[in-house]
Amino acid sequence: MTDMTGSDSGGAPRARTRGDPGPIGGSLMSAVPALAFLGALFVVPLGFLLSFAFLTIERGDIVSGLPTLRHFFETLTDDLFWIVAWRSFWVGVVSTILCVVFAYPVAWVYSELKGAWRPIVLVLVVAPLLTSAVVRTYAWIVILGGRYGLINSLLIDLGLIGRPLRILNTDIAVIIGMVQIHLPFMILPLISVLDGRDRAREEASLALGASRIVTFFRVTLPLSVPGIAAGASLVFALSYTNFIIPQLLGGGNYTTLALQVYEFIIVILDWTEGAVRATLLLLSCFAIVLLINKLGAWYTRWLEAGR
Amino acid sequence: MKRSAADNVGLAVMVAIAAFSLLALVGPSLVVIGISFTERQYISFPPVGFTLEWYAAIFENQQLIDAAKTSLVLAASVMATCLALGMPAAFSITRGRYGGRQTLSAFLLAPQMMPGMVIGIAMLFFGSFFAFRQSLLMMILGLTVFCLPFVVRMLMARLALIDPALEEASLNLGASRSQTLKRVTLPQLLPGTLAAAAFAFIEAFDNLTVVLFTASPRTRPLSVELYQLVQFDSSPLVAAISALEIGLAFLIVLVLSRTVGLSRLGD
Repeated sequence: MTDMTGSDSGGAPRARTRGDPGPIGGSLMSAVPALAFLGALFVVPLGFLLSFAFLTIERGDIVSGLPTLRHFFETLTDDLFWIVAWRSFWVGVVSTILCVVFAYPVAWVYSELKGAWRPIVLVLVVAPLLTSAVVRTYAWIVILGGRYGLINSLLIDLGLIGRPLRILNTDIAVIIGMVQIHLPFMILPLISVLDGRDRAREEASLALGASRIVTFFRVTLPLSVPGIAAGASLVFALSYTNFIIPQLLGGGNYTTLALQVYEFIIVILDWTEGAVRATLLLLSCFAIVLLINKLGAWYTRWLEAGR
Repeated sequence: MKRSAADNVGLAVMVAIAAFSLLALVGPSLVVIGISFTERQYISFPPVGFTLEWYAAIFENQQLIDAAKTSLVLAASVMATCLALGMPAAFSITRGRYGGRQTLSAFLLAPQMMPGMVIGIAMLFFGSFFAFRQSLLMMILGLTVFCLPFVVRMLMARLALIDPALEEASLNLGASRSQTLKRVTLPQLLPGTLAAAAFAFIEAFDNLTVVLFTASPRTRPLSVELYQLVQFDSSPLVAAISALEIGLAFLIVLVLSRTVGLSRLGD
Protein backbone atom coordinates (compact mmCIF):
# COMPACT_ATOMS: atom_id res chain seq x y z
CA MET A 1 0.00 0.00 0.00
CA THR A 2 2.88 2.38 0.71
CA ASP A 3 4.08 2.30 -2.88
CA MET A 4 0.58 3.14 -4.11
CA THR A 5 0.57 6.27 -1.99
CA GLY A 6 4.05 7.09 -3.21
CA SER A 7 3.01 6.91 -6.86
CA ASP A 8 0.47 9.69 -6.43
CA SER A 9 2.54 12.34 -8.18
CA GLY A 10 4.70 9.89 -10.14
CA GLY A 11 2.17 7.60 -11.77
CA ALA A 12 -0.34 10.14 -12.97
CA PRO A 13 1.30 12.82 -15.08
CA ARG A 14 0.31 11.44 -18.50
CA ALA A 15 -3.23 12.80 -18.31
CA ARG A 16 -2.58 15.79 -16.10
CA THR A 17 -1.45 19.12 -17.42
CA ARG A 18 -0.84 22.19 -15.40
CA GLY A 19 -4.11 23.88 -16.27
CA ASP A 20 -6.30 20.76 -16.01
CA PRO A 21 -6.55 19.28 -12.53
CA GLY A 22 -8.69 16.42 -13.85
CA PRO A 23 -12.27 15.55 -13.02
CA ILE A 24 -13.59 16.60 -9.63
CA GLY A 25 -12.65 14.18 -6.88
CA GLY A 26 -10.38 12.15 -9.12
CA SER A 27 -7.21 12.45 -7.08
CA LEU A 28 -5.62 9.45 -5.43
CA MET A 29 -5.57 11.40 -2.17
CA SER A 30 -9.33 10.99 -1.76
CA ALA A 31 -8.93 7.20 -1.62
CA VAL A 32 -6.20 7.33 1.02
CA PRO A 33 -8.45 7.46 4.12
CA ALA A 34 -10.38 4.36 3.02
CA LEU A 35 -7.16 2.57 2.07
CA ALA A 36 -5.52 3.40 5.38
CA PHE A 37 -8.63 2.33 7.27
CA LEU A 38 -8.84 -1.05 5.56
CA GLY A 39 -5.08 -1.53 5.80
CA ALA A 40 -5.05 -0.95 9.55
CA LEU A 41 -8.37 -2.54 10.48
CA PHE A 42 -8.85 -5.28 7.89
CA VAL A 43 -5.49 -6.46 6.54
CA VAL A 44 -3.57 -6.26 9.81
CA PRO A 45 -6.33 -7.92 11.91
CA LEU A 46 -6.64 -10.65 9.27
CA GLY A 47 -2.90 -11.21 9.68
CA PHE A 48 -3.49 -11.59 13.42
CA LEU A 49 -6.25 -14.13 12.81
CA LEU A 50 -4.06 -16.24 10.53
CA SER A 51 -0.99 -16.00 12.76
CA PHE A 52 -2.97 -17.03 15.85
CA ALA A 53 -3.52 -20.39 14.17
CA PHE A 54 0.23 -21.03 14.40
CA LEU A 55 0.64 -19.92 18.02
CA THR A 56 -0.53 -21.35 21.31
CA ILE A 57 -2.90 -18.95 23.02
CA GLU A 58 -4.77 -19.36 26.26
CA ARG A 59 -7.25 -16.74 27.43
CA GLY A 60 -5.82 -14.03 25.21
CA ASP A 61 -2.16 -14.59 26.14
CA ILE A 62 0.43 -16.15 23.87
CA VAL A 63 1.83 -19.12 25.77
CA SER A 64 4.68 -20.10 23.49
CA GLY A 65 6.28 -17.66 21.10
CA LEU A 66 7.43 -20.15 18.47
CA PRO A 67 5.15 -20.65 15.47
CA THR A 68 4.05 -24.24 15.00
CA LEU A 69 2.01 -26.33 12.58
CA ARG A 70 1.06 -28.66 15.41
CA HIS A 71 -2.45 -27.25 15.80
CA PHE A 72 -3.24 -27.72 12.12
CA PHE A 73 -1.86 -31.24 12.26
CA GLU A 74 -3.94 -32.10 15.34
CA THR A 75 -7.12 -30.72 13.80
CA LEU A 76 -6.62 -32.37 10.42
CA THR A 77 -6.01 -35.78 12.01
CA ASP A 78 -9.13 -35.48 14.16
CA ASP A 79 -11.93 -37.68 12.78
CA LEU A 80 -14.57 -35.49 14.38
CA PHE A 81 -13.25 -32.50 12.43
CA TRP A 82 -13.81 -34.30 9.15
CA ILE A 83 -17.34 -35.36 10.11
CA VAL A 84 -18.23 -31.75 10.93
CA ALA A 85 -16.45 -30.39 7.83
CA TRP A 86 -18.28 -32.87 5.61
CA ARG A 87 -21.63 -31.88 7.14
CA SER A 88 -20.87 -28.18 6.51
CA PHE A 89 -19.98 -28.93 2.91
CA TRP A 90 -23.06 -31.07 2.43
CA VAL A 91 -25.39 -28.42 3.92
CA GLY A 92 -23.77 -25.81 1.65
CA VAL A 93 -24.12 -27.90 -1.51
CA VAL A 94 -27.72 -28.99 -0.89
CA SER A 95 -28.78 -25.43 -0.01
CA THR A 96 -27.13 -24.11 -3.15
CA ILE A 97 -28.80 -26.66 -5.43
CA LEU A 98 -32.22 -26.05 -3.88
CA CYS A 99 -31.71 -22.31 -4.19
CA VAL A 100 -31.12 -22.70 -7.94
CA VAL A 101 -34.27 -24.82 -8.25
CA PHE A 102 -36.45 -22.32 -6.40
CA ALA A 103 -34.81 -19.11 -7.63
CA TYR A 104 -34.62 -19.83 -11.35
CA PRO A 105 -38.39 -19.84 -11.99
CA VAL A 106 -38.76 -16.55 -10.08
CA ALA A 107 -36.10 -14.86 -12.20
CA TRP A 108 -37.45 -16.36 -15.42
CA VAL A 109 -41.06 -15.35 -14.66
CA TYR A 110 -39.79 -11.87 -13.75
CA SER A 111 -38.05 -11.59 -17.12
CA GLU A 112 -41.28 -12.55 -18.92
CA LEU A 113 -43.52 -10.25 -16.87
CA LYS A 114 -44.60 -6.83 -17.97
CA GLY A 115 -45.80 -3.68 -16.25
CA ALA A 116 -46.96 -3.45 -12.68
CA TRP A 117 -46.04 -7.02 -11.69
CA ARG A 118 -42.33 -6.44 -12.03
CA PRO A 119 -41.88 -3.98 -9.14
CA ILE A 120 -44.08 -6.21 -6.96
CA VAL A 121 -41.89 -9.25 -7.57
CA LEU A 122 -38.77 -7.16 -6.96
CA VAL A 123 -40.13 -5.87 -3.63
CA LEU A 124 -40.95 -9.42 -2.52
CA VAL A 125 -37.39 -10.49 -3.38
CA VAL A 126 -35.53 -7.51 -1.91
CA ALA A 127 -37.63 -6.86 1.23
CA PRO A 128 -36.47 -10.00 3.09
CA LEU A 129 -32.86 -8.85 2.65
CA LEU A 130 -33.66 -5.88 4.83
CA THR A 131 -34.92 -7.99 7.74
CA SER A 132 -32.38 -9.44 10.10
CA ALA A 133 -31.27 -13.06 9.83
CA VAL A 134 -32.32 -13.72 13.44
CA VAL A 135 -35.85 -12.55 12.75
CA ARG A 136 -36.09 -14.68 9.63
CA THR A 137 -34.66 -17.70 11.39
CA TYR A 138 -37.02 -17.17 14.30
CA ALA A 139 -39.93 -17.25 11.85
CA TRP A 140 -38.94 -20.82 10.99
CA ILE A 141 -38.92 -21.80 14.66
CA VAL A 142 -42.52 -20.55 14.79
CA ILE A 143 -43.46 -22.45 11.65
CA LEU A 144 -41.61 -25.72 12.19
CA GLY A 145 -41.40 -25.91 15.96
CA GLY A 146 -43.15 -28.10 18.51
CA ARG A 147 -46.72 -29.19 18.93
CA TYR A 148 -48.13 -25.70 18.31
CA GLY A 149 -46.01 -24.67 15.33
CA LEU A 150 -47.76 -23.79 12.10
CA ILE A 151 -46.91 -27.01 10.25
CA ASN A 152 -47.80 -29.38 13.06
CA SER A 153 -51.05 -27.57 14.01
CA LEU A 154 -52.08 -27.62 10.37
CA LEU A 155 -51.28 -31.28 9.78
CA ILE A 156 -52.92 -32.39 13.05
CA ASP A 157 -56.04 -30.30 12.40
CA LEU A 158 -56.31 -31.82 8.95
CA GLY A 159 -56.04 -35.25 10.57
CA LEU A 160 -53.01 -36.17 8.44
CA ILE A 161 -50.83 -36.97 11.43
CA GLY A 162 -51.63 -38.01 14.98
CA ARG A 163 -48.45 -36.88 16.73
CA PRO A 164 -46.45 -33.74 15.96
CA LEU A 165 -43.63 -34.28 13.47
CA ARG A 166 -40.10 -33.54 14.59
CA ILE A 167 -38.79 -31.10 11.99
CA LEU A 168 -37.07 -28.47 14.10
CA ASN A 169 -33.61 -29.53 15.29
CA THR A 170 -32.99 -31.71 12.23
CA ASP A 171 -31.02 -31.37 8.98
CA ILE A 172 -34.25 -30.55 7.20
CA ALA A 173 -34.92 -27.48 9.35
CA VAL A 174 -31.36 -26.21 8.78
CA ILE A 175 -31.65 -26.68 5.01
CA ILE A 176 -35.09 -25.02 4.87
CA GLY A 177 -33.73 -22.03 6.79
CA MET A 178 -30.61 -21.76 4.61
CA VAL A 179 -32.56 -21.94 1.34
CA GLN A 180 -35.23 -19.44 2.33
CA ILE A 181 -32.79 -16.94 3.84
CA HIS A 182 -30.31 -17.07 0.96
CA LEU A 183 -32.84 -17.29 -1.89
CA PRO A 184 -32.67 -13.56 -2.81
CA PHE A 185 -28.91 -13.85 -3.34
CA MET A 186 -29.62 -16.42 -6.06
CA ILE A 187 -32.62 -14.62 -7.56
CA LEU A 188 -30.90 -11.25 -8.06
CA PRO A 189 -27.92 -12.43 -10.19
CA LEU A 190 -30.30 -14.64 -12.20
CA ILE A 191 -32.60 -11.68 -12.82
CA SER A 192 -29.70 -9.59 -14.06
CA VAL A 193 -28.68 -12.33 -16.52
CA LEU A 194 -32.17 -13.36 -17.67
CA ASP A 195 -33.78 -9.94 -17.83
CA GLY A 196 -31.18 -8.39 -20.08
CA ARG A 197 -30.79 -11.44 -22.34
CA ASP A 198 -30.74 -11.26 -26.07
CA ARG A 199 -33.84 -13.14 -27.26
CA ALA A 200 -32.76 -13.50 -30.88
CA ARG A 201 -31.46 -17.05 -30.35
CA GLU A 202 -34.69 -18.12 -28.64
CA GLU A 203 -36.75 -16.66 -31.46
CA ALA A 204 -34.58 -18.40 -34.02
CA SER A 205 -35.02 -21.71 -32.20
CA LEU A 206 -38.81 -21.26 -32.10
CA ALA A 207 -38.94 -20.20 -35.74
CA LEU A 208 -37.04 -23.34 -36.68
CA GLY A 209 -39.79 -25.40 -35.09
CA ALA A 210 -38.40 -26.28 -31.66
CA SER A 211 -40.99 -26.33 -28.90
CA ARG A 212 -40.84 -23.82 -26.07
CA ILE A 213 -39.63 -26.44 -23.61
CA VAL A 214 -36.83 -27.58 -25.91
CA THR A 215 -35.91 -23.95 -26.56
CA PHE A 216 -35.76 -23.30 -22.83
CA PHE A 217 -33.46 -26.25 -22.12
CA ARG A 218 -31.31 -25.88 -25.23
CA VAL A 219 -31.03 -22.08 -25.45
CA THR A 220 -32.22 -20.10 -22.43
CA LEU A 221 -30.85 -22.28 -19.63
CA PRO A 222 -27.33 -22.70 -21.10
CA LEU A 223 -27.08 -18.95 -21.72
CA SER A 224 -27.91 -18.20 -18.08
CA VAL A 225 -25.10 -20.36 -16.66
CA PRO A 226 -22.97 -17.29 -15.72
CA GLY A 227 -25.85 -16.08 -13.53
CA ILE A 228 -26.24 -19.51 -11.96
CA ALA A 229 -22.49 -19.63 -11.23
CA ALA A 230 -22.52 -16.13 -9.71
CA GLY A 231 -25.51 -16.92 -7.52
CA ALA A 232 -24.23 -20.37 -6.58
CA SER A 233 -20.85 -19.13 -5.41
CA LEU A 234 -22.57 -16.46 -3.30
CA VAL A 235 -25.13 -18.84 -1.79
CA PHE A 236 -22.55 -21.55 -1.14
CA ALA A 237 -20.21 -19.13 0.64
CA LEU A 238 -23.07 -17.74 2.73
CA SER A 239 -24.49 -21.15 3.67
CA TYR A 240 -21.11 -22.72 4.34
CA THR A 241 -20.07 -19.97 6.76
CA ASN A 242 -23.44 -19.36 8.42
CA PHE A 243 -23.50 -20.42 12.06
CA ILE A 244 -26.71 -18.68 13.19
CA ILE A 245 -29.09 -20.97 11.28
CA PRO A 246 -27.50 -24.28 12.44
CA GLN A 247 -27.42 -22.89 15.98
CA LEU A 248 -31.08 -21.88 16.07
CA LEU A 249 -32.73 -24.46 13.80
CA GLY A 250 -30.35 -27.40 14.27
CA GLY A 251 -30.74 -27.70 18.00
CA GLY A 252 -28.02 -27.85 20.62
CA ASN A 253 -25.87 -30.62 19.19
CA TYR A 254 -26.02 -29.86 15.48
CA THR A 255 -22.51 -28.72 14.67
CA THR A 256 -21.02 -27.24 11.53
CA LEU A 257 -17.51 -25.93 10.98
CA ALA A 258 -18.64 -22.30 11.23
CA LEU A 259 -20.54 -23.00 14.44
CA GLN A 260 -17.45 -24.70 15.88
CA VAL A 261 -15.39 -21.60 15.16
CA TYR A 262 -17.90 -19.51 17.09
CA GLU A 263 -17.98 -21.97 19.99
CA PHE A 264 -14.20 -22.27 20.26
CA ILE A 265 -13.70 -18.52 20.32
CA ILE A 266 -16.67 -17.23 22.33
CA VAL A 267 -17.76 -20.17 24.52
CA ILE A 268 -14.70 -22.38 25.07
CA LEU A 269 -12.21 -19.49 24.71
CA ASP A 270 -9.72 -21.70 22.87
CA TRP A 271 -8.58 -19.06 20.42
CA THR A 272 -5.89 -21.19 18.79
CA GLU A 273 -8.31 -23.93 17.84
CA GLY A 274 -10.82 -21.29 16.73
CA ALA A 275 -8.20 -19.62 14.54
CA VAL A 276 -7.18 -22.98 13.02
CA ARG A 277 -10.75 -23.84 12.12
CA ALA A 278 -11.52 -20.32 10.88
CA THR A 279 -8.48 -20.51 8.59
CA LEU A 280 -9.50 -23.94 7.29
CA LEU A 281 -13.10 -22.74 6.82
CA LEU A 282 -11.95 -19.69 4.87
CA LEU A 283 -9.49 -21.57 2.66
CA SER A 284 -11.93 -24.37 1.80
CA CYS A 285 -14.67 -21.81 1.14
CA PHE A 286 -12.46 -19.86 -1.28
CA ALA A 287 -11.39 -23.07 -3.02
CA ILE A 288 -14.99 -24.17 -3.62
CA VAL A 289 -16.14 -20.71 -4.74
CA LEU A 290 -13.22 -20.60 -7.15
CA LEU A 291 -14.17 -24.04 -8.47
CA ILE A 292 -17.80 -22.97 -9.03
CA ASN A 293 -16.65 -19.90 -10.96
CA LYS A 294 -14.17 -21.92 -13.01
CA LEU A 295 -16.83 -24.50 -13.88
CA GLY A 296 -19.18 -21.70 -14.98
CA ALA A 297 -16.46 -20.13 -17.13
CA TRP A 298 -15.44 -23.46 -18.66
CA TYR A 299 -19.03 -24.28 -19.53
CA THR A 300 -19.57 -20.91 -21.20
CA ARG A 301 -16.35 -21.25 -23.20
CA TRP A 302 -17.28 -24.79 -24.23
CA LEU A 303 -20.71 -23.54 -25.30
CA GLU A 304 -19.23 -20.74 -27.38
CA ALA A 305 -16.75 -23.12 -28.99
CA GLY A 306 -19.58 -25.52 -29.90
CA ARG A 307 -21.60 -22.95 -31.78
CA MET B 1 -46.33 -19.30 -32.04
CA LYS B 2 -48.65 -21.97 -30.72
CA ARG B 3 -47.94 -23.68 -27.44
CA SER B 4 -48.07 -27.44 -27.22
CA ALA B 5 -49.57 -29.24 -24.22
CA ALA B 6 -46.07 -29.95 -22.91
CA ASP B 7 -45.21 -26.26 -23.21
CA ASN B 8 -48.24 -25.39 -21.12
CA VAL B 9 -47.28 -27.90 -18.44
CA GLY B 10 -43.75 -26.47 -18.42
CA LEU B 11 -45.08 -22.95 -18.08
CA ALA B 12 -47.43 -23.99 -15.28
CA VAL B 13 -44.57 -25.66 -13.38
CA MET B 14 -42.40 -22.56 -13.70
CA VAL B 15 -45.16 -20.22 -12.53
CA ALA B 16 -46.11 -22.56 -9.67
CA ILE B 17 -42.54 -22.80 -8.34
CA ALA B 18 -42.06 -19.04 -8.72
CA ALA B 19 -45.29 -18.35 -6.82
CA PHE B 20 -44.29 -20.82 -4.10
CA SER B 21 -40.83 -19.22 -3.76
CA LEU B 22 -42.26 -15.72 -3.49
CA LEU B 23 -44.75 -16.92 -0.90
CA ALA B 24 -41.96 -18.65 1.03
CA LEU B 25 -39.96 -15.41 0.97
CA VAL B 26 -42.59 -13.27 2.66
CA GLY B 27 -44.90 -15.80 4.33
CA PRO B 28 -42.71 -16.43 7.39
CA SER B 29 -42.57 -12.71 8.17
CA LEU B 30 -46.37 -12.52 8.02
CA VAL B 31 -46.62 -15.51 10.38
CA VAL B 32 -44.33 -13.75 12.87
CA ILE B 33 -46.43 -10.58 12.71
CA GLY B 34 -49.56 -12.68 13.31
CA ILE B 35 -48.03 -14.45 16.32
CA SER B 36 -47.02 -11.15 17.91
CA PHE B 37 -50.69 -10.39 18.68
CA THR B 38 -51.53 -13.71 20.34
CA GLU B 39 -52.94 -13.82 23.86
CA ARG B 40 -51.21 -17.10 24.68
CA GLN B 41 -48.01 -17.17 26.73
CA TYR B 42 -46.26 -19.41 24.22
CA ILE B 43 -45.87 -19.53 20.47
CA SER B 44 -48.83 -21.17 18.78
CA PHE B 45 -50.49 -20.99 15.42
CA PRO B 46 -53.04 -19.73 14.62
CA PRO B 47 -52.78 -16.80 17.06
CA VAL B 48 -55.50 -16.67 19.71
CA GLY B 49 -57.35 -13.40 20.33
CA PHE B 50 -55.71 -10.02 19.96
CA THR B 51 -53.48 -8.21 22.41
CA LEU B 52 -50.78 -5.58 22.34
CA GLU B 53 -49.37 -6.92 25.60
CA TRP B 54 -46.16 -8.19 23.96
CA TYR B 55 -45.47 -4.82 22.42
CA ALA B 56 -46.03 -3.18 25.81
CA ALA B 57 -43.62 -5.72 27.31
CA ILE B 58 -40.84 -4.53 24.97
CA PHE B 59 -41.09 -0.98 26.24
CA GLU B 60 -41.16 -2.10 29.88
CA ASN B 61 -37.93 -4.06 29.42
CA GLN B 62 -35.06 -1.67 30.17
CA GLN B 63 -32.48 -4.13 28.80
CA LEU B 64 -34.19 -4.16 25.41
CA ILE B 65 -34.56 -0.38 25.34
CA ASP B 66 -30.86 0.05 26.08
CA ALA B 67 -29.98 -2.52 23.43
CA ALA B 68 -32.13 -0.69 20.87
CA LYS B 69 -30.38 2.59 21.73
CA THR B 70 -26.98 0.93 21.34
CA SER B 71 -28.06 -0.44 17.95
CA LEU B 72 -29.23 2.98 16.75
CA VAL B 73 -25.96 4.65 17.79
CA LEU B 74 -24.01 1.80 16.22
CA ALA B 75 -25.93 1.91 12.94
CA ALA B 76 -25.72 5.70 12.65
CA SER B 77 -21.97 5.67 13.37
CA VAL B 78 -21.27 2.92 10.85
CA MET B 79 -23.36 4.71 8.23
CA ALA B 80 -21.52 8.00 8.79
CA THR B 81 -18.06 6.41 8.80
CA CYS B 82 -18.79 4.38 5.67
CA LEU B 83 -19.96 7.45 3.77
CA ALA B 84 -17.06 9.59 5.00
CA LEU B 85 -14.52 6.99 3.86
CA GLY B 86 -16.42 5.51 0.93
CA MET B 87 -17.57 8.64 -0.89
CA PRO B 88 -14.09 10.12 -1.56
CA ALA B 89 -12.76 6.65 -2.39
CA ALA B 90 -15.55 6.06 -4.93
CA PHE B 91 -14.78 9.43 -6.57
CA SER B 92 -11.10 8.63 -6.69
CA ILE B 93 -11.53 5.23 -8.33
CA THR B 94 -14.26 6.22 -10.80
CA ARG B 95 -12.65 9.46 -11.91
CA GLY B 96 -8.97 9.12 -11.22
CA ARG B 97 -6.50 9.14 -14.08
CA TYR B 98 -3.68 7.47 -12.18
CA GLY B 99 -2.44 3.95 -12.80
CA GLY B 100 -3.33 0.99 -10.61
CA ARG B 101 -6.95 1.92 -10.13
CA GLN B 102 -8.05 -1.67 -10.80
CA THR B 103 -5.82 -2.97 -8.01
CA LEU B 104 -7.01 -0.24 -5.71
CA SER B 105 -10.63 -0.99 -6.41
CA ALA B 106 -10.06 -4.72 -5.88
CA PHE B 107 -8.42 -3.97 -2.54
CA LEU B 108 -11.27 -1.73 -1.39
CA LEU B 109 -13.89 -4.31 -2.40
CA ALA B 110 -11.96 -7.27 -0.94
CA PRO B 111 -13.64 -7.41 2.50
CA GLN B 112 -16.98 -8.27 0.87
CA MET B 113 -15.61 -11.74 0.17
CA MET B 114 -15.04 -12.28 3.88
CA PRO B 115 -17.74 -13.78 6.05
CA GLY B 116 -18.73 -11.33 8.82
CA MET B 117 -17.52 -13.89 11.32
CA VAL B 118 -13.95 -13.68 10.01
CA ILE B 119 -13.95 -9.88 10.20
CA GLY B 120 -15.29 -10.02 13.76
CA ILE B 121 -12.75 -12.60 14.93
CA ALA B 122 -9.87 -10.76 13.25
CA MET B 123 -10.92 -7.56 15.03
CA LEU B 124 -11.17 -9.38 18.38
CA PHE B 125 -7.70 -10.94 18.05
CA PHE B 126 -6.18 -7.70 16.80
CA GLY B 127 -7.70 -5.79 19.74
CA SER B 128 -6.50 -8.32 22.29
CA PHE B 129 -2.95 -7.49 21.34
CA PHE B 130 -3.37 -3.81 22.24
CA ALA B 131 -5.61 -4.29 25.29
CA PHE B 132 -8.42 -2.93 23.07
CA ARG B 133 -11.48 -4.71 24.42
CA GLN B 134 -14.84 -5.60 22.95
CA SER B 135 -16.83 -2.36 22.93
CA LEU B 136 -19.11 -0.12 20.95
CA LEU B 137 -16.04 1.29 19.19
CA MET B 138 -14.86 -2.17 18.20
CA MET B 139 -18.29 -2.97 16.78
CA ILE B 140 -18.28 0.28 14.78
CA LEU B 141 -14.82 -0.44 13.34
CA GLY B 142 -15.63 -4.05 12.49
CA LEU B 143 -18.95 -3.22 10.87
CA THR B 144 -17.39 -0.36 8.89
CA VAL B 145 -14.90 -2.83 7.41
CA PHE B 146 -17.83 -5.14 6.67
CA CYS B 147 -20.09 -2.50 5.03
CA LEU B 148 -17.53 -0.24 3.33
CA PRO B 149 -17.09 -2.35 0.15
CA PHE B 150 -20.83 -2.41 -0.49
CA VAL B 151 -21.08 1.35 0.03
CA VAL B 152 -18.12 2.01 -2.29
CA ARG B 153 -19.58 -0.28 -4.95
CA MET B 154 -23.02 1.32 -4.85
CA LEU B 155 -21.53 4.83 -5.05
CA MET B 156 -19.20 3.84 -7.90
CA ALA B 157 -22.12 2.43 -9.89
CA ARG B 158 -24.02 5.68 -9.46
CA LEU B 159 -21.02 7.92 -10.16
CA ALA B 160 -20.37 6.13 -13.45
CA LEU B 161 -23.82 7.23 -14.63
CA ILE B 162 -23.19 10.95 -14.11
CA ASP B 163 -22.57 12.90 -17.31
CA PRO B 164 -19.28 14.82 -16.97
CA ALA B 165 -20.52 17.45 -19.45
CA LEU B 166 -22.69 19.05 -16.77
CA GLU B 167 -19.68 19.58 -14.52
CA GLU B 168 -17.60 20.91 -17.39
CA ALA B 169 -20.37 23.37 -18.21
CA SER B 170 -20.49 24.50 -14.61
CA LEU B 171 -16.72 25.00 -14.52
CA ASN B 172 -16.71 26.82 -17.86
CA LEU B 173 -19.39 29.16 -16.61
CA GLY B 174 -17.06 30.24 -13.85
CA ALA B 175 -18.11 28.13 -10.86
CA SER B 176 -15.29 26.94 -8.65
CA ARG B 177 -14.58 23.23 -8.23
CA SER B 178 -16.07 23.12 -4.76
CA GLN B 179 -19.18 25.00 -5.94
CA THR B 180 -19.55 22.57 -8.82
CA LEU B 181 -19.15 19.62 -6.50
CA LYS B 182 -21.79 20.96 -4.13
CA ARG B 183 -24.31 22.24 -6.69
CA VAL B 184 -23.89 19.89 -9.64
CA THR B 185 -22.18 16.63 -8.71
CA LEU B 186 -23.50 15.77 -5.26
CA PRO B 187 -27.19 16.43 -6.05
CA GLN B 188 -26.92 13.93 -8.91
CA LEU B 189 -25.31 11.45 -6.56
CA LEU B 190 -28.05 11.83 -3.95
CA PRO B 191 -30.12 8.73 -4.84
CA GLY B 192 -27.04 6.51 -4.76
CA THR B 193 -25.93 8.07 -1.49
CA LEU B 194 -29.32 7.47 0.10
CA ALA B 195 -29.36 3.85 -1.01
CA ALA B 196 -25.81 3.26 0.25
CA ALA B 197 -26.56 4.99 3.56
CA ALA B 198 -29.74 2.95 4.04
CA PHE B 199 -27.85 -0.23 3.27
CA ALA B 200 -25.08 0.53 5.78
CA PHE B 201 -27.60 1.53 8.44
CA ILE B 202 -29.77 -1.56 8.06
CA GLU B 203 -26.81 -3.93 7.85
CA ALA B 204 -25.20 -2.42 10.96
CA PHE B 205 -28.50 -2.51 12.83
CA ASP B 206 -29.25 -6.14 11.98
CA ASN B 207 -25.77 -7.61 11.89
CA LEU B 208 -24.95 -10.50 14.16
CA THR B 209 -21.92 -12.18 12.59
CA VAL B 210 -19.46 -9.33 13.22
CA VAL B 211 -21.12 -8.09 16.38
CA LEU B 212 -21.20 -11.41 18.26
CA PHE B 213 -17.41 -11.27 18.39
CA THR B 214 -16.97 -7.55 19.03
CA ALA B 215 -19.79 -6.67 21.47
CA SER B 216 -18.96 -6.43 25.14
CA PRO B 217 -21.42 -8.15 27.49
CA ARG B 218 -22.41 -4.75 28.88
CA THR B 219 -23.13 -2.91 25.63
CA ARG B 220 -25.06 -5.48 23.66
CA PRO B 221 -26.95 -4.31 20.58
CA LEU B 222 -30.50 -5.41 19.88
CA SER B 223 -29.43 -8.13 17.43
CA VAL B 224 -27.40 -9.94 20.11
CA GLU B 225 -30.15 -9.45 22.69
CA LEU B 226 -32.64 -10.91 20.23
CA TYR B 227 -30.32 -13.82 19.46
CA GLN B 228 -30.24 -14.70 23.17
CA LEU B 229 -33.99 -14.33 23.51
CA VAL B 230 -34.68 -16.59 20.52
CA GLN B 231 -32.64 -19.33 22.18
CA PHE B 232 -33.93 -19.02 25.72
CA ASP B 233 -37.33 -17.33 25.66
CA SER B 234 -40.35 -19.08 24.17
CA SER B 235 -42.87 -16.28 24.70
CA PRO B 236 -44.27 -14.21 21.82
CA LEU B 237 -42.12 -11.28 23.02
CA VAL B 238 -39.53 -12.19 20.37
CA ALA B 239 -42.28 -12.12 17.75
CA ALA B 240 -43.24 -8.60 18.77
CA ILE B 241 -39.65 -7.36 18.51
CA SER B 242 -39.32 -9.12 15.15
CA ALA B 243 -42.56 -7.58 13.92
CA LEU B 244 -41.24 -4.12 14.81
CA GLU B 245 -38.01 -4.83 12.88
CA ILE B 246 -39.99 -6.07 9.89
CA GLY B 247 -42.10 -2.90 10.05
CA LEU B 248 -38.97 -0.75 10.13
CA ALA B 249 -37.49 -2.55 7.12
CA PHE B 250 -40.77 -2.20 5.23
CA LEU B 251 -40.83 1.55 5.96
CA ILE B 252 -37.28 1.91 4.62
CA VAL B 253 -38.15 -0.01 1.43
CA LEU B 254 -41.14 2.24 0.94
CA VAL B 255 -39.13 5.44 1.40
CA LEU B 256 -36.34 4.14 -0.85
CA SER B 257 -38.68 3.05 -3.61
CA ARG B 258 -40.16 6.55 -3.63
CA THR B 259 -36.84 8.36 -3.65
CA VAL B 260 -34.30 6.04 -5.29
CA GLY B 261 -36.38 3.72 -7.40
CA LEU B 262 -36.52 0.01 -6.73
CA SER B 263 -34.45 -1.15 -9.65
CA ARG B 264 -31.38 0.39 -8.00
CA LEU B 265 -31.83 -1.67 -4.85
CA GLY B 266 -30.75 -4.85 -6.54
CA ASP B 267 -27.27 -3.54 -7.38
